Amino acid sequence: MGIETDNKEIISSIRENAKWLLSENQVDVIIGYSEGTVPLSSTPIIIRKEEDVDKLIWNNLCYINLARYLAPLMPQLCDSEGNSLKIGIVAKGCVGRAVNLLAVEKQVNLDNIKMIGFNCNGIVNRSKIDLEIGEKEILDVSISGDDIIVKGHDWEKKFPYDQYINELCKVCQIKSPSATDANCVGECQELESIHDEFSDIAEFESKSADEKWAYIKDALQVCTLCYSCRQACPMCYCNLCFVDQNMPTWFGKTTQFTDIFTFHLIRAQHLAGRCVACGACSSVCPVGIDLNIITRKLEKIAKERFDYTSGLNAETIPPMMDFKMEDEEEFMLEED
Amino acid sequence: MDQKILKKDQIGKLYNELVGEYDFYAPINKKGNIAFEKIENPEDIVLDYLNSKIPPKSVLFPQNEVLFEYTLDEKDVEITDRQDLEQKILIFGIRPCDAYSFELFANFFSFHGDWKDDIYLKKKENTTLIGIGCNTPRTTCFCTSVNGNPFKKDNMDVFLTDLGDTYLVEGISDKGKGMVQKLSWLSDASKDDLKKAEELAKIAEESITTKIDVDTVVKNLETCFEHPVWDEISESCIGCGSCAYFCPTCTCFDVIDETDHYNNRGRRIRIWDTCQSCLYTLETSGHNPRDTKIQRCRNRIMHKFSYYPTNYDLLGCVGCGRCVYVCPANNDLRVILDKINKIEEKEDEKVVA
Repeated sequence: MGIETDNKEIISSIRENAKWLLSENQVDVIIGYSEGTVPLSSTPIIIRKEEDVDKLIWNNLCYINLARYLAPLMPQLCDSEGNSLKIGIVAKGCVGRAVNLLAVEKQVNLDNIKMIGFNCNGIVNRSKIDLEIGEKEILDVSISGDDIIVKGHDWEKKFPYDQYINELCKVCQIKSPSATDANCVGECQELESIHDEFSDIAEFESKSADEKWAYIKDALQVCTLCYSCRQACPMCYCNLCFVDQNMPTWFGKTTQFTDIFTFHLIRAQHLAGRCVACGACSSVCPVGIDLNIITRKLEKIAKERFDYTSGLNAETIPPMMDFKMEDEEEFMLEED
Repeated sequence: MDQKILKKDQIGKLYNELVGEYDFYAPINKKGNIAFEKIENPEDIVLDYLNSKIPPKSVLFPQNEVLFEYTLDEKDVEITDRQDLEQKILIFGIRPCDAYSFELFANFFSFHGDWKDDIYLKKKENTTLIGIGCNTPRTTCFCTSVNGNPFKKDNMDVFLTDLGDTYLVEGISDKGKGMVQKLSWLSDASKDDLKKAEELAKIAEESITTKIDVDTVVKNLETCFEHPVWDEISESCIGCGSCAYFCPTCTCFDVIDETDHYNNRGRRIRIWDTCQSCLYTLETSGHNPRDTKIQRCRNRIMHKFSYYPTNYDLLGCVGCGRCVYVCPANNDLRVILDKINKIEEKEDEKVVA
C-alpha cells in the first residue's frame, strides 16, 4: 500500500458511488473535484450526468472544502422551478464535519444531501512546497508511492508525503465523514467523541506572549486582505461579514497591521469551536499564510471545557451558540 | 553607443548612484512572495524571478493611498494636499507585461481626458522604468496573444536582458537614453552580446505556447451577455478577490474617510476594491444590480475583454497569468476564454443536430 494506491482506490470508489447515486435518482447533481489546470491545484466541479462521473478525481490536492458550495452565500442548486435539488457531495472527513455543522446551524437540509464518504489520506501543503521550490516554475506534481514528486523544466524534487501535508492533516482523526448510512454512501463512521492531544500546538503554546505576538505579526505582514480564507471557509457564511459592514464601519479596511490583525483575530473568534479543521483557509491563501494554530487553540479550549468537537453529528449545538446552567464560570471575575 | 553592459555584481553600484535622486523600487522576496518594495539594501533585490506575485501596480497605485488629509474646526475644513508627488520614482526590474499595464492605467486614470486623476498621473510622469526581459515565461503566460511579448521594450525607459553573467542595458525612451549615458562606467556591449540577447528573446517568445484567439473572444462577448455559459464559468468561483488584487490591470478602488474625532482631523484614503465583492455594486437603497456570483464573474471578463476594447480600443488584459495561478478554485482564465470562444461552435452544432 502507499498513498498512490490509496488514491486509486478512493477514485474508483467515488466514481462508483457517484454513478450509483445518479443512476438510482438518489441525487440530481454531484459536487466533487476534477483535475486542475495548473500544478498543485484541483478544480471543484458539479456534474449532472452519469457519463461525467469519470471527471471526478481525488489526488491530495483537493484542498477546497466542498461544503462551501452548500453554504447559503453560494447560489443554491435548484431546478427550473426553484425547488432544491438533491445533492451528492464528495466528502472527506472535514467536508462531513462541515455538512453536519451546517445542518446543526440550520443552513442545509440533510434530507437533500448524500455524502460520498471516503477515508481521506491528507492534503499536500501547497505553500510549503511552493516556498521550498522558490522562483522556479513547477510543471507537474504527482504522488509516487509515498512521495510527492515535483517536476520542473529540467529538475525534479521528491518530498516525503507524511512531512509535506498540512499540519492539520497530520493530526486529523476524522478522516471519513461522521455520519450514518442514511446520509452517506461509501466510507463513514459514527463518532461520539475523539481523543485529541493537541500536540501540534504545544510548541506554540509554550511561547511567551511576546513571542506569539511576534509570530503572528510576522505571518500577517504579507496579507493582502483578498478574503480568500473567508470565502473558502465552509463555516463563514454570514450575509454581510463584519469587516464589510459600513453603516457604521466597525473596522478599518486598509492593509495597516491593525486592520489586518483585527480581521484575522475576529474571524478566528467567530470560528471558536466551529472550525472543522479542513485547512482550506491556508491552502487557498495566495501568499501562503497559515494561522491554523489559532483555530486549533480555540478547538482545544472547546474540547477541554465542553468536550465538544465540531461536526461529529448533526445535532449537538456548538458551545458558543448554546447555554447550559451547569457550565462552569470560574473565569468570571468576582464583583467585590 | 546605446547598448551597454552591467555586470551582475554592479547592481549595488547602480543602486547607490540612483537612490539619491529616486525612490528606488525593485522586486524582493517577501516570505516567498515576490513584491516590489522600496529598496533600503540593494542586496535584497531579486532579478531572477518568474514574475512578481504582487504586481508592481502597487508602487503607483498602492493598496491604500492617502489622497489628502484634513483638519476640522467648528466652521471650517482645512485640506492638506499630497506634498510628495514631485518625488522621482524608479521601478527597477519590471517585466514587460507589467510595464504595459501602466499604459492601460493611463487610460483609466485620465478617462479620455475628460477627467484626470492627478495623483496617479503625476506619479507616473515622475516614474522611470528599468525593465527586464522575461527569459523563462511561465506556462500560464499568454502575453503574445494580447499585444505583448516577453521582450517588449516599448513601455520601458531602460531595458535589461539577462545574458547569464551580465545584463545588456539598452536606453529605450529619451529619458532612458539620457540615464544610460550618465552611467558612464557601464562598459560597451559587443556584437556577441547583442546577438545573444536576440536569441534569448526569440527562445522566450517561442516558449509561450498558450495562444488565445482574443478577436473571437471580443466578438463573442458582444452577443453573449445572457448566455448560459456564465453559469458554467462561475460555478467553481468562491467569490474572493484574489484574481483582481493580483491583476496588474485592475484599477477599481473604494474611498474611505478615517476621522480622528478626538483631534479633529482625518484623512481620505483610497483602497483597492474589486467587482468580485458583492458590496462593490450595493446601492444605498439596498438594491444590488450585480447581486449574484454569475453576474460578478461575468463582469470581470466583460470588463477586460469587451468594455476596455469599446472604451479605449485596448484589451484590459496583459496576459501575465497571475489570476490563473492564484485562483483558489483554479477557475482558469484560459479555460474561461476558451469556453467563450466555443460559444458559436456549440450553437452551430445544435443547428446541425
